[in-house]
Amino acid sequence: MITSSAQRLTLEGIGKTFGTLRALDGVSMSVARGSVHGLLGENGAGKSTLLRILSGVMEPSGGTVAVDGVRVTGHGPLAARRAGIAMIHQELQHVPELTVAQNMFLGRSVRMAGGLLVDRQAQERAARAALAPLDASIDPSAPIRTLKVAQRQIVEIARALMEDAKIIAMDEPTSSLTPAEFDRLAVLIRDLSANGVSIIYVSHKMDEVFRVCDTATILRDGRKVADVSMAETTEGEVVSRMVGRELAHAEHKGFATDEVVLDVENLSRGTAVRGASFKLRRGEVLGISGLVGAGRTELLRLVAGVDRPDGGSIRIEGKPLRLGNPRTAIRAGLGLLPEERKRDGIVARRPIRSNIALSSMRRFSRAGFVRRNALHAESLKLMQDMNLRPLDVERPIGQFSGGNQQKAIIGRWIAAGARILLFDEPTRGIDVGAKAEIYALIERLAAEGRSVVVVSSELPEILRVSDRVLVMREGAIAGILERDAISEEAIVALAVPQSARSAPFSSRPGQ
Amino acid sequence: MTSTDSLSAAPKRGLKLGFGLRDAGTLIGLLVIVGVFAALSPNFLTERNLINILQQSSINACVALGMTLVIISGGIDLSVGPTAAIAAVAAAAMMVGGTPIVVAIPAAILFGMAAGAVNGALVAYGGLQPFIVTLGTLSLYRASALIYTGGNPIFGIPPEFRALFNGDILGLPTPVVIVAALALVVWVVLNKTPLGEYFLAVGGNEEASHIAGVPVGMTKIAAYVISGGLASIAGLILVGRLGAADPTLGNLWELDAIAAAAIGGASLMGGKGSVVGTILGAIILGSLRNGLTLLNVQAFYQLLATGLIILVAMLIDRATRGRG
Repeated sequence: MITSSAQRLTLEGIGKTFGTLRALDGVSMSVARGSVHGLLGENGAGKSTLLRILSGVMEPSGGTVAVDGVRVTGHGPLAARRAGIAMIHQELQHVPELTVAQNMFLGRSVRMAGGLLVDRQAQERAARAALAPLDASIDPSAPIRTLKVAQRQIVEIARALMEDAKIIAMDEPTSSLTPAEFDRLAVLIRDLSANGVSIIYVSHKMDEVFRVCDTATILRDGRKVADVSMAETTEGEVVSRMVGRELAHAEHKGFATDEVVLDVENLSRGTAVRGASFKLRRGEVLGISGLVGAGRTELLRLVAGVDRPDGGSIRIEGKPLRLGNPRTAIRAGLGLLPEERKRDGIVARRPIRSNIALSSMRRFSRAGFVRRNALHAESLKLMQDMNLRPLDVERPIGQFSGGNQQKAIIGRWIAAGARILLFDEPTRGIDVGAKAEIYALIERLAAEGRSVVVVSSELPEILRVSDRVLVMREGAIAGILERDAISEEAIVALAVPQSARSAPFSSRPGQ
Repeated sequence: MTSTDSLSAAPKRGLKLGFGLRDAGTLIGLLVIVGVFAALSPNFLTERNLINILQQSSINACVALGMTLVIISGGIDLSVGPTAAIAAVAAAAMMVGGTPIVVAIPAAILFGMAAGAVNGALVAYGGLQPFIVTLGTLSLYRASALIYTGGNPIFGIPPEFRALFNGDILGLPTPVVIVAALALVVWVVLNKTPLGEYFLAVGGNEEASHIAGVPVGMTKIAAYVISGGLASIAGLILVGRLGAADPTLGNLWELDAIAAAAIGGASLMGGKGSVVGTILGAIILGSLRNGLTLLNVQAFYQLLATGLIILVAMLIDRATRGRG
């Protein structure tokens, strides 16, 4: 180690303006050698902009970046990589059909025969050597599409280390990892930091941040509001600094009645969902928990008619529902809020009013024409009700934040008169403030006499919103917990398959 | 658009007459081209010639209207030319056989719509890609027209039929008026009806539309049926002008129609497109050909210019749109 400078990365007065919008304003922060540093803030706080500047994709309007006391000069991703800054993106960018090794050497392949041919064997040897200390089970000659997201992340980390990265920035690395996979990642991060690599860790999940990070910088509205040491602060304090106010700490209120509105019996599809039966009551919020891949999303899609089940039946308010057809499901009062908002939820280019009205065009039209005024007025009213900003019905929904897009899709189902709402990971990828609003919205929907099913991978979320919790395990319903019986321990005990009891659910107690 | 109390709270974004910023760009492009030709040729900017341009653009515009809807809904229709040929041949054969015009015309258009329905059904329920489906039916429909006629044009079109498409209405050639009326109808469908919302939604995000309960399959079929119908009308107009129904009629129409739609702002990825833009796009292509012919430019160079205009238009579009 040549340098003994304690600071691996130093940012000085970083600013970035887009037109009149100030995305970052004089942000300074430093990260010590081998430390894991969190970068926290709500959506729009400036985290992504800062990451982009760090990785060289974007040029700052002012300020400097220095690695080991040496200022990073030159522009572009290449300059950043040469300086030792590597980035692990949230959406991993791989060429699916190429092998692990080919992806690791993309754009800088090892050549032979005077540079004419790619030396695949040399690449695979180097890739194997780089992967070995991280996860020896990854085969460098396998097509990368055959790898799980967690493994692909490890490939990215190996690639970064191969390029002698001194700083690895991870943007929401756990957004599609199972708890067990997160555990492994946490261990890996510790190993990296023990070897002097500094990690910048961006995440919305407070429990992870507190488990993994040593220190953190909190951003709000493009400014740094605090540098904190995780050992000396609390989740509540961090969140209130991110949001700039105390979040309302609502107690769980139940609105469940005795009337059964949804009666699912023996629903099956392949091995994904096996003989699922459950009932949902008017005004009830039913949480669905389980490990990733336990069949939760698949179950919701079957109920919503998006996929066709192999067998089983569904009754809505006593009447049998024709299965496998979203239109009949919607007419019967069901509405699905999909997990992948961009892929399955919104039509990004269309105005938000069109997205809200998409499932109720029949109601919004007369004599074959769209009743535009009624559509505008009702969209506007729904947006006001849900505190959806900006209040512009003509704006394409793709230009709204994730939380506001989510509200718009919920608004779509309210407009369509849905009485049974199926929410799949409703707060995934949205910030803490909007999360609280979604919880309040779920409660309000229940209070209005609607019933809500909430699938979530976050235990605190399940505990916060549910009247009952249904736990799935390997496609089947492992058990249903009544309100009094709900606890993290009880959920985990049901969720984890017998064979994998050694890999515990990772979650800190909510709040 | 009338304003109600609750609406006035919403910020208005320009004039919402279905004439967007992108259409203004297409219009500027057209004006530039017209300006250049007006400077180069004294005969270009005469009333007679401008009407000529509209007349020459009308058939492509008619086909391109349907193409625009198909493209917006996320598809492509390569079979428009042969569809037009089927309708033309069918109408001609019926009329020569003594069927009254008032029956033959709608029947021929129904043939075209049926051809579109086959395209749509194969795309929606056959699980095939639109490009492949309509590449297949392109040959299929052309072959049908050729086999039925033995490859020979059908002559003996009744003069009353020809008169329908050769007259003037309010000083404009009938085909121009017909296509203008059709453009208005298509504009209304796209901008004012649930079907239009569905075209834009399905092309913008098919999976999200499916989950939201949009009848995705029927929406796609509707786009191809309309495209087939409009292609048929274009075919009939041509038969009226030429006085014969050639089974090879409509060769390469699909390319002109796609070009007009793309110049007008339609995205081949689906979810985006404009009726006004497509019409302007068709007129741009028509002006170009007309102007170059007036300047006695060889046909080969005309083709060259058309290709360049398409590419330049797309590059300007890309450059002015910005990212994301």
